[in-house]
This record gives sequence, structure tokens and C-alpha cells, in this order.
Amino acid sequence: MNLKKYLVRALHRLQKGPGYTYKELLVWYCDNTNTHGPKRIIKEGPKKKLIWFFLTLLFASLVFWQWGILINTYLSYNVTSSLSIGFKTMKFPAVTVCNANPFKYSEVKHLLKELDRLIEAALERILQPTPGNVSENVSPPLNLQLWNQIPLVLIDEHNKDNPVILDIFETNQTAGGNETAGDDQNSTCPCPQCSHQGSNNCTYRNFTSAAQAVTEWYILQSTSILSKVPLHERIRMGYQAEDMILACLYGAEPCNYKNFTQIYHPDHGNCYIFNWGMDEEALNSSNPGAEFGLKLILDISQQDYIPYLSSAAGARLMLHQQKSFPFLKDQGIYAMAGTETSIGVLVDELERMGYPYSDCTMNGSDVPVKNLYSQYNTSYSIQACLRSCFQNHMVEICGCGHYMFPLPKGVNYCNNEDNPGWAYCYSSLRSSITQRQICIDSCKETCNDTQYKMTISMADWPSEASEDWIFHILSYERDMSTNVTLDRNGIIKLNIYFQEYNYRTISESAATTIVWLLSSLGGQFGFWMGGSVLCLIEFGEIIIDSLWITIINVISWCKGLKQKRARYPDAPPTVSELVEAHTNLGFQHEAMGALPRDEALPPEPGTPPPNYDSLRVQPLDVLSPDSDVE
Amino acid sequence: AATAPGKKITARLKRTLPVRGPQAPTLSELMRWYCLNTNTHGCRRIVVSRGRLRRLLWILLTLSAVGLILWQCAELLMNYYSASVSVTVQFQKLPFPAVTICNINPYKYSAMKEYLSELDKETKKALETFYGFSEGKSKVRRSVDEWNSTGSDFFQQIPLLKVEDFSRTATDLHSGQKRKIEGSVFHKDSSIVNSGDSNDIIGFQLCDANNSSECALYTFSSGVNAIQEWYKLHYMNIMAQIPLETKEKLSYSADDLLLTCFFDGLSCDKRHFTRFHHPLHGNCYTFNSGENGTILSTSTGGSEYGLQVVLYIDEADYNPFLVTSTGAKIIVHDQNEYPFIEDIGTEIETAAATSIGMHFTRSRKLSKPYSDCTETGADIPVENLYNKSYSLQICLHSCFQKAMVDSCGCAQYAQPLPAGAEYCNYKKNPNWMYCYYRLHEKFVKEQLGCQQICKDACSFKEWALTTSIAQWPSTVSEDWMLRVLSWDKGQKLNKKLNKTDLANLMVFYKDLNERFISENPANTLVILLSNFGGQLGLWMSCSVVCVIEIVEVFFIDSLSIVMRRQWQKAKKWWNGRKRAGPGKPPQAGDVERQGHDNPVCIDEDLPTFNTALRLPLPQDSPLPRTPPPNYSTLRLETAFTEQLPDTLELGRH
Repeated sequence: MNLKKYLVRALHRLQKGPGYTYKELLVWYCDNTNTHGPKRIIKEGPKKKLIWFFLTLLFASLVFWQWGILINTYLSYNVTSSLSIGFKTMKFPAVTVCNANPFKYSEVKHLLKELDRLIEAALERILQPTPGNVSENVSPPLNLQLWNQIPLVLIDEHNKDNPVILDIFETNQTAGGNETAGDDQNSTCPCPQCSHQGSNNCTYRNFTSAAQAVTEWYILQSTSILSKVPLHERIRMGYQAEDMILACLYGAEPCNYKNFTQIYHPDHGNCYIFNWGMDEEALNSSNPGAEFGLKLILDISQQDYIPYLSSAAGARLMLHQQKSFPFLKDQGIYAMAGTETSIGVLVDELERMGYPYSDCTMNGSDVPVKNLYSQYNTSYSIQACLRSCFQNHMVEICGCGHYMFPLPKGVNYCNNEDNPGWAYCYSSLRSSITQRQICIDSCKETCNDTQYKMTISMADWPSEASEDWIFHILSYERDMSTNVTLDRNGIIKLNIYFQEYNYRTISESAATTIVWLLSSLGGQFGFWMGGSVLCLIEFGEIIIDSLWITIINVISWCKGLKQKRARYPDAPPTVSELVEAHTNLGFQHEAMGALPRDEALPPEPGTPPPNYDSLRVQPLDVLSPDSDVE
Repeated sequence: AATAPGKKITARLKRTLPVRGPQAPTLSELMRWYCLNTNTHGCRRIVVSRGRLRRLLWILLTLSAVGLILWQCAELLMNYYSASVSVTVQFQKLPFPAVTICNINPYKYSAMKEYLSELDKETKKALETFYGFSEGKSKVRRSVDEWNSTGSDFFQQIPLLKVEDFSRTATDLHSGQKRKIEGSVFHKDSSIVNSGDSNDIIGFQLCDANNSSECALYTFSSGVNAIQEWYKLHYMNIMAQIPLETKEKLSYSADDLLLTCFFDGLSCDKRHFTRFHHPLHGNCYTFNSGENGTILSTSTGGSEYGLQVVLYIDEADYNPFLVTSTGAKIIVHDQNEYPFIEDIGTEIETAAATSIGMHFTRSRKLSKPYSDCTETGADIPVENLYNKSYSLQICLHSCFQKAMVDSCGCAQYAQPLPAGAEYCNYKKNPNWMYCYYRLHEKFVKEQLGCQQICKDACSFKEWALTTSIAQWPSTVSEDWMLRVLSWDKGQKLNKKLNKTDLANLMVFYKDLNERFISENPANTLVILLSNFGGQLGLWMSCSVVCVIEIVEVFFIDSLSIVMRRQWQKAKKWWNGRKRAGPGKPPQAGDVERQGHDNPVCIDEDLPTFNTALRLPLPQDSPLPRTPPPNYSTLRLETAFTEQLPDTLELGRH
């Protein structure tokens, strides 16, 4: 009962709105709202009323249109960038140094002996194409097993439609199919790769240059051989830190090869990383200039290079962030033997906001590619992702992992014995554009992108005058002998230091925040109509009121329908009558209320009143019941 | 008691029908009305406040708020055309840039012999006379012998001179005569102070052919510079006379220059290169020039996947006077850009592997109101002589070339020809060298106005290069490498290659991150308006509606009131003159009240409170009228007299 009473009371309270018809409501709203336009509409003459009506309408639509634009701007999540340049104490970059040649030739000679003899013989044949001349001094028979898997052939394309394929070790000439790409060079040197199922599935890789063909062929063969060697053995065959790093000075503090972390890099063998920050704190550098940087003297012992594997001689080095894997093939630079290379460093950082501002990843955990480089305890990078992606594909399709990339669990590296068709599989995968696209699409760049901009300059080192004593001391220190074991072709000096301005940071911040959005929305509403949130609430209130009026109207209409049916002879009460009945608690009829007022007026003169405007004000009295308060 | 409802009605009327703007009788009343009814805050306080101090305070506050609004909005307007920079990094497949490779030596020396023999002889003779240098006794003797027979007056026109500075006399190369120098002296190397020994100075004299008294002497502190500059001058003269086809034949062919080529793990050959003839560098070859419509792209970074080229640099066939360094020059550029190889090329060393890591940055500036740059170059009054997209370099060179054609009558050799012009050569334009040097000097001093006309391009692509060098081939691989490369070179070359004839070049993307630096408008119109709105709302709760109100009240309504009063004054004066004799003089206080009393001034608008009340009161009418009917409205007036101060004036009647 109480509840019903309460509801009835609430109903009555709600009904005490500003008016009982739509018009009343509207007039009341216009008169009392805080928004600027509507008041003008009702307060002006009819012409101006019209103008103000349209102005208000125009401004309201402008407000909504511009709100739309603002919200759109907000949802596009723009960023603003700020740039700062200067010098500050920064972590010295991790420095990876490698030899361009992965293994000491003296150590791997026994493994590559067969291959080298094969390629030497092949080169003989290529360079002197007349058969028969060379066969005099072939002492031990060549192991043609390696050869037969991936032979080198000459393709004579003088006749375009019918190229002649000439196997270097066999004199029979076979007319080739259409596998070769057309080439008007008179001699090309492709290496064909056949999948092991049969000779039907062959592709020839064309090279316009014999030098390239030989190098590629040698790399394919040697990776196959070396992939069978266990890792610790390969590390032993590479260059050791104490042999390679002869002198080290960081700022004023001496350092030696023990300060370097060893890492095995498939391309370059043993690499040594200074200041990697894995176990110890990263070093800071608080001064610009060569005096406060890292100074290294390296020996690359060029005499011990594998002749066919790498033709360029020098040290490979790279600057990278702490705890990141060095991808030397991509970002490494060379340092030439017999020179002093000075590298001034500027740290170029880009700090970006993550989702939804830009599509980047903070730590790579949301990238669908399994990061194989995480076994080195290194952080995510786009290069790591791309390589892992490739290796995963390779394992999936070819059944074995490529020697250049880390292995997923339970998979072996490819070699010619276990996986005879791997080279074909690998090269088709490598040249597949769809595979690359998949990897590009699935890998995301990191949000914090750090690059080391290097200013590289070189000078001859050691100078001719100082050459003798420098070589003598360095040889003595390394080998404890008075013989000079070093020469100009092997020795490299490196200076790595911060430039005068050592950082350039571009950091992003959100251009549009929720505060910005609100103030802009408010600004727009305020600018055109002088409105605020309260005005919106007012408007909402009016809508609720008008809903009430509708409900009341519907109810009374229904009632009227009923009454019409019930007591037809009586004239049905109008809506306003009903409303009046509802509001006037005394249930006085309109006429009764109006009558005393008429009486209050002085008696009418005989003539009818002129149709003055002032007379028309009278209904206002009835219309605004709240004006009777005084 | 009977009048109570009337009072009520009038009070109500007064509330519901206030005095409106244009109906207000006086300006002060209009202001009062405005202040009471305006939507802006502050004004109302002025009217409503009691006490002079408080009112003054509110006036000050309102005025300062108005001032603040104006100031802040002006600031907003001034900052409207500012740009903010955004940097985006995108990881994607990148288009590989065009790579243009030139031999530093433009033409094969052996092939150029017939054109340059005279010049070389002359140069050698100069070297011998001034410095006592001779390549070998027999050679020099022969050349000296030949000299006497084939003396060309062409070289005598601009001979090398040894200048004795203090006496201002010069020793001629050929005649050995000393002669007085007239005209101005230009020092190419301005270290003349250092070289106290006058014998050191060497140079050449350029004279205006039409007016031989106007001469300029160019001197150099070092003979190396003097000889090279002098040689180049004559060299350009000779080359300008050789047609383009011949020059292309004289230069290196693609087969000569490129030994091996490897791109993205696949072999490539000369068909991937486009020839491009550069006036100073001979035949250059552009990899991935996009000429056949396809632009190669890279989807993997790293040296294996870039361009690897071995170049054959035939050092023995170099021109000894023109170029003094050995190697190749490369430039990485966009397919639409012209390679200014002489300006921004990178030099490649022989017997070394040069690895060039690239990092791609694209930049975009906002044009006109934000900064002074040009989108397409179409709005720059300099004709683009190069068949490539606009750049600042192109504009400057074109501008200079145009000035050259205008003032010297022929075109400079190093730049393309404008329509209808031809290259300068000594036979046709004997005066061009003097003219060129003069013009070039003006250009460098920015007197030609080229630097003012030419603008930056709004968008540009940049490949930042990190160059490093390794020894190549390594000592152990040198042997087989050279043998195989010699075999590659094939039958044409019958000598074994030397490693100083070769250069290995690798150009690759370090990573596939593309940095895109773009300027964006910091403000849009929407944001400007909302900032305005914020300011207006903060200080005065004002909006455009208020602005319209202000315009309405302060301009239209005030004007109409002033006009009306002027009109009434005029009318009154006119009436007064008419009724000068019988009429009574106009009352002093009338002026104030005319707005109310004069039925003429009533607006065409619907009758309002005032007008409605006053309509039936033609009191001042001189004409006799029928007595007014006893309307209830009339009685209302009396009701007003006591209560409503602002309608008090009616009480007179």
C-alpha cells in the first residue's frame, strides 16, 4: 500500500512539469533554458522569431557536426612527437666484434679437404675448357659424391632455343630443357639443384658470373658439411678471444678479452660482445670524445682465411643495445685491416606509444611467431622475428633447420646426407615471395626503436715509422715470443666513442586525450550556443516531460474513447479540460475560474472593444498559472 | 479592490512584454535593456548592482574579461598556422632505390686521344716550362718538336701565365714574353698572402673578346689547381663540340663497367641497368631506374638481399689531368630524382669491398601557409631543364643555365640544354669563358637571384648511408678470385685482372623500417572554434549568439535609435517653423520623451507593450477628434501612474 501511495505521489510530482501541452512545454523551455538561442526565439517579434529559429537550428546542427569531427579526431588516436637532442650520460652501446671469416682454415682443413680439391679441379676445368689437357696430374680420385648432389654446369646459350648444358666433370653434352632463364651471355655458370625424388624436379640457378656461382656453391656445400659438426667443436675451430683481441681500453680503464662475452654466430663464427649487460651492469659513458670511448686492437690473421668462403677480409662489428642479439649481416659494418677506424656514435631513439596509437609491440609477447633467439636471453627485435619465422617455415616444409639460424627444439640442421633435397627446398623457400610476405605481416616492429648513427672515418695504422715496435710489442704480448707474428694485413684498430651530441630522442605523446576531447566539445557548444552539460540535462528533462505529456494524452484519449462509448449523449471533455481537471484539485471548471475575473472588470461599454493587441494578452493569464504567485 | 486585477495584468504584461531593443526610447535605456536581457554574464551585474563602487568594480571586471577574450583569441588566431611534426615508423616491404654508378674517369683515355692530344701536349709543355717536369726525355722532345708545327691559336688565347705579383707582369707560356697585366685579379685560392714568392703564382687570364681591355686574371696558389682548372676549361670546350652519340661510344659500356651483379639473392646483368649520360662523368649506369615500369623492392634487409656489384675500373685508361683519383662514384636516389653525381656522390675505392647500409626516411612538409616550399615546382618561374621531378638542385642548375644562355648566348656544358640553345664552344662563342666565370662568380655570391627564386621541395625521400670498407679480395682468395673474374670478363680482355682494377660494392637496407616524418596542421578550424568557444565561455559565458546580440544591439538598434531621434528632431524643427506664430514653443523636456509620445515613430512590428498602450492617445494632435471610447485599456493608464516608474510619463494626461 505504502509503495502504491509513494508511486502515486511520485507520479503526481512528475506531472507537475512546466506545462501540460507541448506548446507550453516548449515555450517554458525556451524561456528558461541556459542555452542562448531559444530564448531569443520567443522573445522577439515574428520576423525576428523566424530568423532566430533558423539561427538556432543552424547553430545546433553546426555544434553536432563539429562534435562529430572532434570525436572522430579523438578516435583516430593521433600522436604528437617531441624531439630532444643533447648530451647526457648514457649506457655505452654493446659492441660486437667478429672476424669476417668464421673458422681458422688450419682447423677446418681436414673437413673441407675434399670440397676444396673438388672446387680447385672444377676451376681448372672452367678456366681451361678444352678437355683432356688437365688430366695428366690428377693424383687421387675426386670424391664425386658431393658433386653429384649439386653439380656446377656451364650453359652455352649461343643457341637460344636449345641451350647446351655442359657438366664440368663430364664431357657428354646434354640438351637441356626449358628450365634455364634466357640469357644472351655466351657462357653462364649456373648451379642446378634437383630435389632428390627425381631429375624431373630440377631448377637451374643461373649466375652471370662464375665467381658468384662458385661462391654460392661453396657456401651451400660447406654449410652442409659444417652443420654436422657439434657446436663446441665449431667454437673451438673459430677464433679465440685471446688471439683476436689484442688490446682493449675503455676510457681510462684497461680491459681485456675477459670482458667480452663469447657468442657463436653462424655467419662469422665466434663473436665477442663488449658491454652486453647480460651478467653485469652496463657501462655508462659520461664524456664525449675518443678519449672516453672504447679502444680496441684486433688481429684477424688473414692468412688463415678459408679461401673460397669469404672473399672480403676485415673485422665485422656492430653496435647494438644491451641484451639484444647482434644481426651482423644486416646492421654490421666492416673495419679494414691495416687501418684505424674511428666511429662516432649518436644514439637515435624513437619512443612510441603502443596500441591503439601505433601498431607496435613492447616486448614481442603479442607476436604470433615463436622467437628462437630467446635461447640467447635476448630481447625481441624485428630481425629476430623474421629469422625465427623463416626457420619455422623451413622446419615445417623441409623438415630440418637452416644452419644460419637457431634451431627449434627437437630439430636438426640440414645436411646433404640426411636431407638430400634440402638445398632445393631452401632456395625455393628463400625466393618465395609469399613466405616473405607472411613473415612481414606477422612480425611487428618494437615500440622503442634505438639506432646507433655512426660517423665513420679511417686512417692508415700503424704508421710506417711506428709499425715495427707496435707489431713487436703486440706479438710479444700475445705469443710470448720475440718473433713478429702480426702483419699489416691482420691488424685493426678501433675507436668507438660518443659524439658531442650523443642522443636524439623522438618521443611520442597522445595528441588527443579525453580532457582535450571534453574541452573541445565544451568549446564548440559554448562557442555556438553558450551551452554546457547542464543544458544537455535540461534538454533531456524536457524530453522526459514531453514523454509524460504524451503518456497523459494517450491515457486521456483512451479514457475518452471509453467514456464516449459509455455516455455518448454528453459532449466528451477535451484534452485540456481533462488536464485542467487533473491539475485543479478543486475540479473547478475553466469557466468558473474565469468568471470572477470577468466580474472584477468594470462594466463593459456598449461598443465592442477594438481588436487591440493589448486585449490579446489576457489569455496569457490563463496560460501561465505560475504567474499568480504574487 | 476593483483595480487590483488591472494592476496584476499590467505587472504581468510588463514582465512578459519587456521593452525591446529597437523600441527603446533612448540609448541608455537600450543599454539597460541589453544588460538585463543579454546572455553574457557580467553585464547584468552592472545594472543590478547597487552602490557606485560595486558597479564600477563590475564594469572593470567585465571590461577586463572582454580584453582577455580579445587577447586570447588573437593569440589563437596567430598560432593557427602552426604545424606539428609526427614521426611514424612502418615496417614493410620497401622499394629499392635507384643506384647510379659511374666510373670517376668519364671517357676512355685511349679513345679520346684524337680529341685531346693537342691539349695534353700543351699541358705537358706547361708542366715542363714551369715546373721542369717531364715524363721521359724522348716523349717530351717529340712533343716539343711537334709543337712548333701545329701551333693552335686557340690555346694561345688563354695560356697559362706565371705571374710576378709585385711587378704585375706575367710570363707567357709560349712566347716567354713578359707583359703587363691589366684588369682585375681574381684569386681562386685566396691564399695569396702566404705565397710571398711571386714565382709561385700561376694562373690564366680571361678577356672579354669584344673589349680586350676588360680582362680577369685567375690565379691559384698551387699549380695543381691551376693546371686542373685550366685543363678542365679547355676540355669542356672540346667536349662541347662532340655530338652525344660519339661521346656515349667513347665512354664505358655496361659490359666494361659491370663484372658481376647480384640482387636479392638472384643474378642480374646489364639489362637491369639503364644508361645515363652525364656530361662530366660519361656513361653512368642506373640500377632499378624504373624505366621499364617496374621498381624492384626488398622484403628482407641485410647485405645478402641487396645489390652486390663488382665493378671493373680500368685504371690504366684514366685521363691523367682530368681526374686524379681512382674508383667509382655512386649515388642512391629515387627513381624520379635526377642523380647529381658530381655534387653528392659517394666514392668507391678499388681493391676493397664497400658495404653501404641504407636507412630510409621519407619527409613531408606542409606547403603554402605553413612553410615556404613547393609541391611540384610548377609555381616556380624557372623552367625545369631536367626530365625529372623537381628538386632544389634542379632549380638552381636550371636557373644558372638560363642566366648563362641569356647573358652569354650559349649553354654551359655540365647542364642540360634549354630549348633552342647550344653548348658553348670557343669557335662559336669566343667570349663564353670570360662570361661564364663572371656569371659563376655572381651565382656564388647570390647576385643572380636564383637562391631567392628556388624553393625547397615539400616532400623528399632520403636514404641515410652507412659506409664501411673491407679489404677485398682477401689475400688468400685473391688468386682464384682474380682468375675467375678474368674468365668472366671473357674473351674481350686478354690480360689478367689486377685487384686495383676492381671494386666490390654492396648496397642494402639495414632494416625495413621506413621512417616517415610529416608535418601536420596543429590546428584545424574545428579546434580553433572550440578554443574560441572555450575562451568566450570561460570569461563571459558568451557564444556566437551573444556576438550576434552585440551586433544587433550596439550597431543596428543603436543606429536606429539615433536615426529616429535625428528624424524627430528634424521633424520637430520643421513643425516648429511651420507653426512659428500660433504654436507654442516646444517644451524643454520633450526631447527625452519623444520616443514614447510620437506615434509616428512606432515600428512596423506588431504592437508591443508600449505601442499598444500609447496608440489611442493622440493628445498632441492639433486636430479635434472624436472622444475616445471608454475602453478598459484606457483605464489601465491610470493604474500605471502610481506604480510603474518607467511609464510615469503617461501620467501627464
